[in-house]
Amino acid sequence: MDRRRFLKFSAGGAATAAVAASVAYIGPFNHAPAKDAERLEIPTTCEMCVNKCSVIAVVENGVIHKLNPNPENPKSRGMLCARGNAGLQQVYDSARLKRPLIRVGERGEGKWRPASWDEAFDLAANKLLETKTKYGPQGTLWSSTESFQEVFFQNLGAAFGSPNRVRHATLCLASVNLAYSLTFGTVPSFDLINSKYIIMSGANRLESFITPDTMDLIESAEYRKAKLIYLDPRFTVTASKADEWYPIRPGTDLAFILAMLNVIIGESRYDKEFVANYTVGFDKLVDYVKPFTSAWAEQETEIPAIDIVRIAHEFSDASPRAVYYAGRRSSWYREDFHTRRAQAILNAIVGSWDREGGMVPNGKIALGEYLFLPWDDPVASRVDEMDKNFPLAAKGDGAYLKLRENVIAGTPYPVKAWMIHKQDPLNALPNQARTLEMVKQMDFIGVVDVQMSDTAWYADVIFPESTYLERTDPVEVLSGITPVVVFRQQVVKPAFDTKPTLEIAQGLAKRMGLSQYFDYTIDQWVDAQVKELPLQMPLDHLKKHGVYVPSDFPKYGTTLNPEHRFITKSGKIELYSERLEEAKYDPLPVYHALSQPPQGKFRLILGRRAYFTHANSTNNPWLNQFAPENRLWLNPTAADSLGVGDGDLVEAKSSVGSVRLKARVTQEIRPDCVFMLHGYGKKSKWQRLVADKGGSDAELLETAWDTVSGNASMHETFVSVRKV
Amino acid sequence: MSRFIRMMFLVLIAIAVSGLFYATLAAQKGSENKGRFYFRQTCKECHTKGAAGGEVTPLNKTMEQWRAYFAKGTHNHGKEPLSKYLPADQLLDASSFLINHAADSPQPETCGK
Repeated sequence: MDRRRFLKFSAGGAATAAVAASVAYIGPFNHAPAKDAERLEIPTTCEMCVNKCSVIAVVENGVIHKLNPNPENPKSRGMLCARGNAGLQQVYDSARLKRPLIRVGERGEGKWRPASWDEAFDLAANKLLETKTKYGPQGTLWSSTESFQEVFFQNLGAAFGSPNRVRHATLCLASVNLAYSLTFGTVPSFDLINSKYIIMSGANRLESFITPDTMDLIESAEYRKAKLIYLDPRFTVTASKADEWYPIRPGTDLAFILAMLNVIIGESRYDKEFVANYTVGFDKLVDYVKPFTSAWAEQETEIPAIDIVRIAHEFSDASPRAVYYAGRRSSWYREDFHTRRAQAILNAIVGSWDREGGMVPNGKIALGEYLFLPWDDPVASRVDEMDKNFPLAAKGDGAYLKLRENVIAGTPYPVKAWMIHKQDPLNALPNQARTLEMVKQMDFIGVVDVQMSDTAWYADVIFPESTYLERTDPVEVLSGITPVVVFRQQVVKPAFDTKPTLEIAQGLAKRMGLSQYFDYTIDQWVDAQVKELPLQMPLDHLKKHGVYVPSDFPKYGTTLNPEHRFITKSGKIELYSERLEEAKYDPLPVYHALSQPPQGKFRLILGRRAYFTHANSTNNPWLNQFAPENRLWLNPTAADSLGVGDGDLVEAKSSVGSVRLKARVTQEIRPDCVFMLHGYGKKSKWQRLVADKGGSDAELLETAWDTVSGNASMHETFVSVRKV
Repeated sequence: MSRFIRMMFLVLIAIAVSGLFYATLAAQKGSENKGRFYFRQTCKECHTKGAAGGEVTPLNKTMEQWRAYFAKGTHNHGKEPLSKYLPADQLLDASSFLINHAADSPQPETCGK
């Protein structure tokens, strides 16, 4: 299948486009390979989610026919999930971006004209420089999501002089990362495969996200008979496989953990030697947890006190092979940070640190670096005023929702140009109406993406990025209990007129007097990175195998010696945090009872299904088949009271928006909650499989953030529901 | 004798002034970004695993220890000034990088980095 045939297919109108799309995506695959077809198996690295599994692409005559797992990477456990397999749709789906586009008509009308790269670069660079002249470089915002080429986009914004960089982490795991960083000086991995007792709060690891952690949990719980305790307002796939599931009242996980601490400390079931040698602040913790009895926690959580006590006993008996799993997305409540701190403290006092089956600090592999003299630090401080509002949080990530509020208000200064890389803020941020206000007041929006996301739909210039299968990227270390180095090399030439992010950054940099910071090729960058690997010909090795696996991991116990200094203020594991105290936060986790939904309303809770990565793959034709639309989960009691039957169209309404979608009436959710999947009800008409299908949770979610980390709080919204 | 005393007095003044200079340097804020480059380009040649100076990373010292080190301004156990390797402005940048990534500095981890 060559490029001309693809372009022919995609040239039709809307009606024919749908047909053309279905033909185009099966086109390369509906024939048997020719006998003398050139067949290559090229190792590379997946980009369908944050996990970066190793992949072998089967390529015949320049077309990718299949993506297979690469068994050489132990971190990807010899598997490639549904998303990984569907990755080749990024290349061949006719709905993808194929050339630069410049908006004609109003933002959101979806009217575009194709442009040359020069034209797109010229327009964007002029707009950015105009903004710099009027408002200073701080008048530009650079938003990005992790990717191997994110560094070039971020460097462009930094070289431009803007302090305003904001990343996806502040919508996801900023609170859990900060909590564990402050306690241990690092965020560890969880050695689930060797654990004997695992507690998970809402971390739906067998359904929401299929990763090596998932495989380890299956091995551990199903085959090695570890006990799995699962707390979630929903009966998920993980609940179905757990030994015990508790439909915990939302927002009370901290009460559960505090009661466990009360039992374990009160009955001297903690690891005394570990606490004495490696922690500080235990004496303050002892008195602090006394009021948090199991009887009190039962009132808060609706989990029987007798079970809380028994679980605390079992947990401490199984330690150090016992873990309270930290979770990944921790963007739940305003006090989420404290819940994660309590988890970290609980794991620490039973000595589940740097031992098999416990939390283990990540192994690292040193890479070389392409060195060049960088730019000066920005002069202005950040628009989200991180130093004032969230002094302990990761400044490079920012606090997205606070940033949005300040940008809309124009304080402390105007931000008028927005560059976005591999991100869809219209869906990623709660309260879409507010994001649209932010969009409206921008003089310029430029988007780098592989598909016409909802945010791209509102952009002024779109730079089509080459997909991960069409480009070579910087080498990355995947740190963990068994760290590896993964390589992403170009599998096929770009099928359309697209560029990797480095070349997009170079095109813009040239026009803004910043070329000296991008004066290298990707090959030069990679060469510099790999030269320090302990291999004879490191690049050849990576091209052939796709991965470098050092032989000296896992390593347990590297920090368990009196000389080791944890990267904390005290040099020890901080059960009590002076750093939190100095910043005027609670040094021990404080429980604030959440307000519960009033009569007739429901708490909207979120979650994921492993077919989809947030909002960016629901339009993938192969993945969409698994869930063509989202539905609003309602308990039968709630549904009966509303006169709603399964499959009925309902309207869910919050204080900031409303959406319509079908109901799924199920016992699998608490009566006081509703649930919906993310990534539907799109505005972008190019995402034809999900445009106006189902509802977008971003339209319903209210603006709220965690008090310490600034992480978005996405489970604080109450909605009313009615049949329509 | 008086000539000798004058010479010693001048040497003492020079040491006091350079100490004050480096102390002032340590109190100022340099470019952490550039400091990282200077550290990697200049210092890492000797201060890497297996090399002559032994491995040095920001985690080798606490913030206070790095401040004191730069305030003192000497290298190789006091045998030579730091200025032999980096001029004052680059030293300031390097010190900012090392202090901000020291063994006890707040370094919250993030995703994908």
